[in-house]
Amino acid sequence: MTDQQTDEKVAFMPQMVNLEYRIVTSPIHQRFDKQMREGRIVGQKCPSCGLVFVPPKGFCPLCAIVMTEKDEVAVKDTATVTSFTVITPIQYQGQKEREEYVLANLILDGADSSIGQQRIEGIPHHDVRMGMRVKAVWATPEERAGEEGGGMRGWGLTAAVKHWEPSGEPDTPREQYQEHIL
Amino acid sequence: MTRDIAIVGYASTPPQTEVRETETQMLFPAVNEALERAGVTRKDVGFTCSASCDYLSGAPFAFVQTLEVTGAWPPISESHVEMDGAWALYEAWVRLHHGDIDVALAFASGITSRCNWREVSSVQLDPYYLMPLWVDDVSLAALQAQALIGSGKITEKAMAEVVARIRGGDAAALLDEPYVVEPLRAHDTPTMTDAGAAIILATGDKARELCEHPAWIAGIDHRSEAHYPGVRDLTLSNAARIAGEQAGVGKGPIEVAELAAQFSHEELLLREALGLGADVDVNPSGGTLASNPVTVSGLIRIGEAANAIIDGGRKRTLGHASAGPCLQQNLVCVLEGD
Repeated sequence: MTDQQTDEKVAFMPQMVNLEYRIVTSPIHQRFDKQMREGRIVGQKCPSCGLVFVPPKGFCPLCAIVMTEKDEVAVKDTATVTSFTVITPIQYQGQKEREEYVLANLILDGADSSIGQQRIEGIPHHDVRMGMRVKAVWATPEERAGEEGGGMRGWGLTAAVKHWEPSGEPDTPREQYQEHIL
Repeated sequence: MTRDIAIVGYASTPPQTEVRETETQMLFPAVNEALERAGVTRKDVGFTCSASCDYLSGAPFAFVQTLEVTGAWPPISESHVEMDGAWALYEAWVRLHHGDIDVALAFASGITSRCNWREVSSVQLDPYYLMPLWVDDVSLAALQAQALIGSGKITEKAMAEVVARIRGGDAAALLDEPYVVEPLRAHDTPTMTDAGAAIILATGDKARELCEHPAWIAGIDHRSEAHYPGVRDLTLSNAARIAGEQAGVGKGPIEVAELAAQFSHEELLLREALGLGADVDVNPSGGTLASNPVTVSGLIRIGEAANAIIDGGRKRTLGHASAGPCLQQNLVCVLEGD
């Protein structure tokens, strides 16, 4: 069958859909948010398998057992890039980005679960690489105290860490992070 | 080849008006309790099917997080339906018929308190004719109730009697309440809740080993009406009737029927479509009118019908699930004790 040409215009029907949701931050994520505002990254260590999850979930997803505040451990604000993407923003209503930027998956020192959607700054995009060592650049205590300083829906970190930049340490060998590559 | 398949464990969380913990945390106790009641561990489960609707929480891929209740490492065999959990149970039932596994888990979670369900139910309609009108589930249900009243099949008094039985109160006094959407009053519409539920299925000898009184799935079937409500005769529920016939509802007396009747008139319509007489105990749990966690309600109906056999001493019960406007989709599951 060949393509048929037609002069008939394609009809479009604009349809504005607006659904409103209430974001309810769970108690466990409220607590994580509070700790981040205080400048601490705190996860939960499974009493059964010993793995550390950041952000905390309230349970171990591997052992399927409940975890509580008693299982909390602090992790460091240094990390290894396990994977990354250079994003070219397209423009849509609400889009604030205009230039290319980098989001990375990180494995924090002391954690066994990776965190996604972390912004990398302070290095040309073509130099970002898997295994690269980074450190957190925190918002100031005043910025963290404000309304925009936190925010936690259960994934990523909060706005308390503005972005991450190279720490200058030697790269992490692949064997040490390859299980965390998405 | 067919295999004998039974429900051997069921649990649900107490319905809440507003859950504050994460959906996964909410589900955890239900899955743990269902496993415990069945006397199996997560490692015994050969297939898992979950059910939820991302539009409830307004987060894409929200369903992936709830999988963490299964302890999915090493990787497990699983699937998901963007439907009521009754259809997850159906998929698990089909999977067990493959013959290579003998225990399956179906679970569902729904947090309706984060969204405006009347808006979300509207967005699920066809995008050309109905959705631009923002017609919602209550308005469409009112059309069906009006059609049933107009046909002489039911009366507002009969609807009020259903409500009085489930919610308590005096039927005559209920009729003095104002309409929400005529002829529906607030008490005719479901109480929206947040909840999770889980069911363990097992086959043949395994089911007998795990459970003293397994609730055997004697028949299960699901049918759908036409997508556009305007082409339907709303005074009938042919989908429920055919699903009931295929599941073998009429092959013997039904003692307990758990019907996913969200609205009072739906119970009257479903009783007729499924041929349930006055002697049938309908919705002793309170049914979906009393508590409607979206995508969980149907699985709860089947679980409650199963519990009537597992620890209620009943021999033949029925669980029903529905979805879509005006009972569009219907699933009927007939359960029997030994």
